[in-house]
Formats: sequence, C-alpha cells, structure tokens
Amino acid sequence: MKAELEAIQAEALAALEDVNSLDTLESLRIAYFGRKGKLTDVMKGMGKLSNEERPIIGKLANEVRAALTEAFEATKNALDNQQQEQQLEAESIDITLPGRKPAYGKAHPVMQTLERIQAIFTQMGFQVVTGPEVETEHYNFDALNTPSDHPARDLHDTFYLTDGHLLRTHNSPVQIRVMENQKPPVRIIVPGKAYRVDYDVSHTPMFHQVEGLLVDRHVTFSELKGVLVSFARQMFGDQTQMRFRPHFFPFTEPSAEVDISCTICHGKGCRSCGHTGWIEILGAGAVDPEVFRAVNYDPEEVTGFAFGMGVERIANLQFRIPDIRTFYENDLRFLKQF
Amino acid sequence: MNVTLNWLKAYIDFDFSPSELAERLTMLGIEVESVKQLGAGLEGVVVGKVDSIRPHPNADKLVLCQVDIGEVNALQIVCGAPNVCEGMFAPVATIGTKLPTGIIIKRAKLRDEESHGMLCSEKELGISDEAAGLMELSSDLSIGTPLTEALGLDDVIFELEITPNRPDCFSMIGVAREIRAETGNDLKLPQVDLQESEADIQERTSVTIDASDLCPRYAARVIRGVKIGESPAWLKQRLESIGVGVINNIVDITNFVLMEYGQPLHAFDYHKLSENRIVVRRAAEGEQITTLDEEERDLTPDMLVIADAEKPVALAGIMGGYDSEITETTCDVLLESANFQPSSVRATAKALGIHTEASYRFERGADPEAVIPALDRAAQLIVELAGGTICKGTIDVYPGKKEPYQIQLRAERVNFILGTELEATEIEQILSRLGFGVEVGQSEDIYQVTVPSFRADITREIDLIEEIARVHGYDNIPTTLPKGDIPIPTPNTSIEVHKRTKHFLLGTGMMESVNYSFNHPNCFDKIRLAADNPLRQALQLKNPLSPEMSVLRTTLLPSLLNNAQHNHNHQIDNIALFELSTVFIQREEPARVAGILAGEIGGGVYGSPYRSPDFFDVKGAVEGILDVCGITDYTFKKTEDPTFHPGRNAEVLLGNRRIGMLGEAHPKVLENYELPYKAYLFELDLEALADAADFSKRFEPIPIYPSVLRDLAIVVDEDMQSDMPIEIIYSTGGELVESVRLFDVYVGDQVPEGKKSLAYTITYHSATETLTDKAVNDLHDKVVKRLNQELGAELRM
Repeated sequence: MKAELEAIQAEALAALEDVNSLDTLESLRIAYFGRKGKLTDVMKGMGKLSNEERPIIGKLANEVRAALTEAFEATKNALDNQQQEQQLEAESIDITLPGRKPAYGKAHPVMQTLERIQAIFTQMGFQVVTGPEVETEHYNFDALNTPSDHPARDLHDTFYLTDGHLLRTHNSPVQIRVMENQKPPVRIIVPGKAYRVDYDVSHTPMFHQVEGLLVDRHVTFSELKGVLVSFARQMFGDQTQMRFRPHFFPFTEPSAEVDISCTICHGKGCRSCGHTGWIEILGAGAVDPEVFRAVNYDPEEVTGFAFGMGVERIANLQFRIPDIRTFYENDLRFLKQF
Repeated sequence: MNVTLNWLKAYIDFDFSPSELAERLTMLGIEVESVKQLGAGLEGVVVGKVDSIRPHPNADKLVLCQVDIGEVNALQIVCGAPNVCEGMFAPVATIGTKLPTGIIIKRAKLRDEESHGMLCSEKELGISDEAAGLMELSSDLSIGTPLTEALGLDDVIFELEITPNRPDCFSMIGVAREIRAETGNDLKLPQVDLQESEADIQERTSVTIDASDLCPRYAARVIRGVKIGESPAWLKQRLESIGVGVINNIVDITNFVLMEYGQPLHAFDYHKLSENRIVVRRAAEGEQITTLDEEERDLTPDMLVIADAEKPVALAGIMGGYDSEITETTCDVLLESANFQPSSVRATAKALGIHTEASYRFERGADPEAVIPALDRAAQLIVELAGGTICKGTIDVYPGKKEPYQIQLRAERVNFILGTELEATEIEQILSRLGFGVEVGQSEDIYQVTVPSFRADITREIDLIEEIARVHGYDNIPTTLPKGDIPIPTPNTSIEVHKRTKHFLLGTGMMESVNYSFNHPNCFDKIRLAADNPLRQALQLKNPLSPEMSVLRTTLLPSLLNNAQHNHNHQIDNIALFELSTVFIQREEPARVAGILAGEIGGGVYGSPYRSPDFFDVKGAVEGILDVCGITDYTFKKTEDPTFHPGRNAEVLLGNRRIGMLGEAHPKVLENYELPYKAYLFELDLEALADAADFSKRFEPIPIYPSVLRDLAIVVDEDMQSDMPIEIIYSTGGELVESVRLFDVYVGDQVPEGKKSLAYTITYHSATETLTDKAVNDLHDKVVKRLNQELGAELRM
C-alpha cells in the first residue's frame, strides 16, 4: 500500500505538469480527490490494514494528500494568474484615441491680459473701479487740464456723439469722478474700454486700458517708480528692466513714458523693439495740481500719481499678433489659441 | 523734427557718439525715434577725375578710362555711361566697396579689359533715382576725398519727437540748449555784425498792428538790391539733410534761420506790397487770398492776416501770399519776423487745413525774444549770399512785451514731490544750465526763479520740479514702495456677479468674445426689434469710421450673431460664444451677459460627438448663471418677442422684473445673418443679477438617515408643462420629498396620441428616522393618486 500511495503521488504530480487549463485541473482533481478518486479509494482501503500498519500508512497517506493538495493549489494559482493576464491583454486599448476632454471655454486673450494686470494691482491694494464710457468734454479733457485749444487734444482723435457727448479717449475721467466723490487716500485702478478714431494693424477704434491713481498726503515720484517696477516684474518676469523717460501729459507733472526691456531680445536690440532694446508700455506721472484743483483737492495737502496702459499692446507683447484688429473678429480658430 | 549731428555742433561742443546723444536726448524727454547715418554704404567711394578716355577694343558701348583718385597710379576703369568725358569729376567706388544698393565692387575683367573700380551714377550710390549717367561732381573738390566728406554726407540725422509743451525744441539752438543742460558747456550762438546802409527803413516802410491781441510783436527789415539765385552748397546741404526743400537763396535763408532759431520768417517782394507797408489786422468779411501753394482761400474776420495798404498778403504765421512772394526778379526784400498768438494761428490753420513749419511753431508758442536775433541773422545771411544792402534800422512793434516770469521754488518741495535728497546746489546748477535765473528769495531754501522767454511752458513751481527731475535723470530717482495706508475697499457685488458668471460660462465650454461697442443701425431690423422697442433709440456717432460702426449697441445679440456669421463663413460651425459688456441705453450703461449656441456643440471627437444645441442648452446656461449668483426665485415665461421663435422662447422673471430673454432665434433672424442652422441666444441684465444676488450660504446638515429612491413614469396630455407634476409631488410629500428630478420625456408609439410620458426620480428622506418601505410605499401611492386626480395622470406600466 505504501508503494501504491507513492505511485499515486508521482503519477498525480506528473499529470499536473501537463495541465494547462482550469477545466483539466478540475477533472484531475476529481480523478484523485473525488468520491471515486484514486486517493479516496486508497484511503477507503485503510480499514483493512493491521493495527501496526495503520498509523504508519495513515501518516503517509496524509502526507501524500497534503502534498498533492498543495500542488493542485499552486497549479490553480498559476492558471488563475495566467488567465487574468490573458484577459488584461485582451482588454488593451489604443491609448492614442482622444481623451474625453470636458468642454471648457477660454477667456478672450485681451481679457486674460487685463485680468492679470488687475490681479497684480489688486494685490498692491488698488481697488477696481469702473465708470462711464460716454463722457463729457469736461471729464475727458477740461478737468484733466486739457482745455479746448490745447495742442494735446490733437493727440486724441475723439469720437463724438450727435448729442454732444463723446466716447472717452482714455479711462482718466474715472479718476476725476472718483476724486469728486471720495476723500483721500485714493488707491484705484480703472480697467475698461476707451475709444479713438484709429483703425490700422496696430490700432482698433475701441481698445482697453488700465489706469491707476494713488493719492495720499505724501506720495512721491519714487513711489510711482516702485509700484510700476513691481508691476513689470510680476507681469513680464523677474529680470525685466524698466526705464522712465520724461514725457508730457497735460494731467501729470512730472510725466513719464515707461519702457520695459524688450521681452524678445531682453535688451540686446531686435526688430520688435526697433533695435533699442526697449518697448514702451505705459504713461505715468505725478498728478498735476490743476487736476487736484478741478476736484477740490488742495495740492498743498495731497500729492499723487497716475498711470495708464493699453491692454492690447501688453497682450500683444506676449501673443505677437501681426494685426491687432484680429482680436475683435472673434474667430473661434483664433480664440481657441489662447 | 530732424536735427543733425554737425548742425548741432555748430552751436555747442559735445563728445557724444550718435547713439550716446540719442540716449541722452531721449532721457531728457526728447525722444529720438531714429538715428540715420547719412551716406551709409559710401565709405569706399572717393572723388575721382577722368584723365583720359580711349575706346574699348572689344566693345562699342564701353570705354576705358584712366581715373585719378589721388594715388600714385591712375586706375583703369571700364565705363559705359553716355556722359563720361575727359576732365570730368565723378564718384569712384573703389575695390571692396559695398554700395547701399548691395553691389560689391571687385576687380573685374570686362570683355578682356581690366576694371579697377566703378564710376557711379546717383542711383548706384543710393543718393537719388538718377541713373542716366555718371554723377557729375564739382571740379573744385579735391581728388581722392571721401565722397561723404565732399558732399557733406558725413553727418547723422536724428528724428526727434517733440512733445507739444516744448515748442522751444523745434530748432537747432533749442536742442543745443538741452545739450547744454546735459553737459554744462556754453552755447555758441551765431555772431551777427550787420553793416547797415544810410537809407533809413522808417522812410521806406511802416508796420501797423490793428490786432495787438493776436500779434504781440512784429518786426521788419528791408534789404535792397539782392540777387535771387541758387544757394551755396553748404546751405543746400544743411536744408536737404533734414528734408527741407531748396527753393532760392532768400527763401532758403529764411528756412535755415527758422530751423536754427525756431523763429519763422517771411520774405516779401517789397515792390509788390501796396504802398510798401504792412498792416497786421483781422481779415475783412469776404476777403480772399491766394497763398504760396496757389490755392485761393476764403477768409473770415476771426483770421489774422498780414496786409499791405489794400489787401492781405500773407496768412499770419501760416503761409505767405502768392502775389508778394520772392521771384527771380525780386530785388528789394521786406523781411518779416513776428510773433503771433497760438490759439489764433491754430484755429486759422485748422479752418483752412494748412499746416506748415511756421504754423506748427506758432500754434505751440514761439519765443517773442527770438524775433530780433533771427531777423538780424537772416538779414546778414542775405547780404552775404544774395548781395544787397540793409536799410538802417529795424521796425519793431512790440505791443505784447512782457516782463520775465518769476516763480518761487521751495527746495524742500522738490524732494517732497520726487522722493529725492537733492542738495540746493544741485537744484541751482540744473536750473541755471537750463537758462533759468536763480536767486535766493525771502528765506534760504526758497528761490526766486526767472523763466527765460523761450520757456513759456514753465509757469508753476511744479513745472520747475519736473525740469529738475528730468535733468537730474528719472533713473536717478529712487524706487520705493508707497508708504501710505491702503484704503478699505467697498464691497462690490457687480464685480463678483461678473466673475462668477464668466467662470460658469467658461466651464460650460463657451468661448468669451469681445466685440466693438459700435454697430450698424440696421442691426435692430436684423434682429426684428418691434418698431417701438426702446432699444432702437441708440446713441449715434457724429464721426463714425463706417456705417457698420455708427451707433452704440443697446443689446449684445447682434454682435454675437455677427460673430456666428463670421465663423460660419469661415467653415467654423461649432459656435458657443458669450460676451460680458456694457450696453448704451440713453444715459445709462448697464452691463449685460449674452450668449449664442449654434451649429454643433461638443467635442467633435471620437467618444464625444458633436450635437445640435437646443433650447434647453441656453436655458441650462441661464439657470446655471442664476444658481452661481445664489438666485432661486426666478421663473420662465413664454413671450412674443419677435427676435425669437414664438414657441421656443422665455423671458426670465424675478418676481415681476424682467431680467433677460432666451430662446431659439426666429428663422427670419437666422436668414438675416445667413445662418443655415438654428441658433440659441440668451441675454441677461447683470445689474439685475447683482441686485438679486445672494452669496450668503449656510451649512445644512449632511443627512444621517438613508434616502429612498422611487422612479415614477406618468402619461399626461402632451401640452402639459413638466413642472406641474413636480409641484404636486412636493406638496403631497411635504418635508419627506427631498428632490424630484425629471429624467425622461417621451412621445411616440408607446403612448397614446396626444399624450406624453414624463419620468421622474423622487428622493424620499426623513431627517429624523429611517423610512420604512411601507411608509415610502404609502406616500408614493398617495402621490400617484393625487397626480391622477388633479392632472389626470396615468401611471405608465
């Protein structure tokens, strides 16, 4: 009987070697462990053994059974793994098929730029204020120290309405409206649309400006520089250089035009900056005492500065669109690029 | 305005390189827009003399020239120009020269004959378009001189942008004064030493000013016996280098002095002035003048003219008259140097549409004290270059003479405004270099500053502070951050509503568009606004760029429909756009948000196909906007708005307040915008949203007890609104109904004709206990019963 058990074990282990599916494994299991299985048969014969033999053979039988059970289990695991691997392989997909991107819209490129500018000044404590686009001569010019025969009016080609009003040529009228209604300190920015009679590759009749105004008991020109340098570094990068050139605006004194180092050549000189290394981005200056008088502020009691920049121009430093009128065609092929 | 390096150096010494000068001027506030080297590319071109010519043995049209360029051996040059002749002086491009036209001169063989350079035409040198023959040079030039030097082309042109407040810089001397501020070097003004004749000017002419308010000063000299002719080379070179046309010696001199001093001058033919005298007066009604450009001009009584005894002979400060101009036969000249009131010149120039070098300067303000120096300088040059004698004396009528302007300047205020720590001595030095008189005033740090006559723009202390700042250098002013308190901002619901609306719409996949505020007046017809719709009352532009941009928009819908049309015309048909903008309704500028969905929306790729939008896409967009604004008590109501499909539109109501519209565009509107597919539109009043917005959210406990879901499909009349069953479900279930969601609407074979099936998911939930099946079933049965009783709804099995 001992020989018989050992033979069964050898035979079963050999048979397991050839098993390659869970079905054959199951048949084999029944052939050995089933009710009429070979091992079961042998176990049934145990009763006929002598008392001396029984524990010896019993022990051996249990060992064979344990060994075979373990071998069957191992084979089953191997087959299970193999089957899962096959299934995974069958489930493989073409990962170059497009992702199911949720539809998402994009803000207009000019608005993206305007919002960035706004965010930078908001962090510096400037409050966003808006005002009317249809204006009077008073707010657009006179209160800003630009009387009607002033040559500076030539710089603004103004759209007039048939009712005598005009479309603001800059956002500065809002400064006047705010100061008329508020005591200093004032720290505002005015984003919004402005209008000039101009239509070519670098001008649109409607454009966007962000103007800023800071008025307090003692505001200096050096603080104007500080605010704008801080803006430029955040907007155009840490390494950006800034240059303040004396200029003339009727509503500021001293006035400056402000350049940044060319965003393309970083100051070395290229076609974009006319080989100067500099690109003009905004106008600024200390608020002219006449402007303070127009809003009943005492220029001996308060000082301030103002600045204004064209959003399309700044947007285009980044986007480099050859004809900025493209901004307002709202061609979806264009809008989707930004 | 253009200035040149050499011309400036005639008035002040400086060592700046051209680029350095450009940088310095720019940083003084005189922006240099371009720097151009005259004669660039002509470095290897020299003056040559053709010594001898012999025929080319192998070519009929070519000759062999021996050309002297001042070296030991003459060069053999092959030439084909028709005008080449022995003894001629002509420019020679030597071997290695790269001409401005791109030609590189190499040793060459032309039909077997060696050529060691090229004799050049003006075109080949890039000087002009003249290509018919060699450029002939004057035979008094010295052979071998570089051509640039010989022709005065070794100069640099600076194109300056002068701001309107600085008329004093519209002259060489004016710009030289700015260089003085930079260097501290003295000005070298022209030395004038007039030799006057015995003949007294007082006996030969007179000047009467009848409009002293418009003419503060008028001075004249008379020069007799001049000979009109060509100007000498140096004068022509000066004028041509800055782009001023050359006419004759007298006119060229007046132009030269104009550029030198910034003082416009005018030369009259003395004998063409009636009674040989000058009257400065306003034009009479109906008077006319033919100006130098041979245009006849109608004058009005607000225009200032220079007249003789009878008639106007010049437009004051703008342009001379044709009949009294200098001609070849002129022998006696009356030379005018005057000062006119800026706004008068400006108004007249504008009214007549004439803009000249003279009007440009007078409009901005010329220096009345430059009148005499410029007059004398021009008189001297005339005698030097055109001969003649100067009558004794000057007529100088000066009713507008003013005392020099004085301003008090507080040194402490300079630093207060600029944030600098300038010493008193630095301030004094800057001001004196600019030509200001500086004296210590009543106390030690208060100066009494005298403004020179050429700086009429300086009238206040702040103007002086700007002068100090720009000469000190803006770059030398420290950079600091504001020290003041940050004002407490006031909350602004509109901005928040704007932001949330935008973020929501972007999240739905719509792209943001930005359109001009202008529209074509026919847009109201195109969107079929009723004749009495107040939105038709659009503000009109007086000077529009085009009809398409002639009224201000009162609604955003036409712009978005235009955008759809533009895109469709470019084969882009997945249109999902919105815009946030103000509109112009009479004196109000309310903000709106509007959107359009048309063509196909969706990703348009495998797995996310395109689909046609419908009414419920725009409705969903509007509901979403209301939701992010925290607005819940809104309703939708069908209207008869002609812009929309009569059965597929809704106005949005908050109580009785209409806050917007949405729906399918009327087929006629689609036709008007040539759209071949349906378009869905919405427009909401952002101000109304801001008024109603509620951002105050409160925590609600997360349910502890489980919810029970029951689906319910009922068959009702087809025209029943889907929200009627929902109201009944809520009212029946009370607090135990947490939510009702419509998930299907079906019309077709499975339901009887005239009926539709609505399918809802009802969520039952109690905040205090776990609902038993029985409790839910009882409640659900009650719901079904009431739906049947009140709406005739049948359960769909």
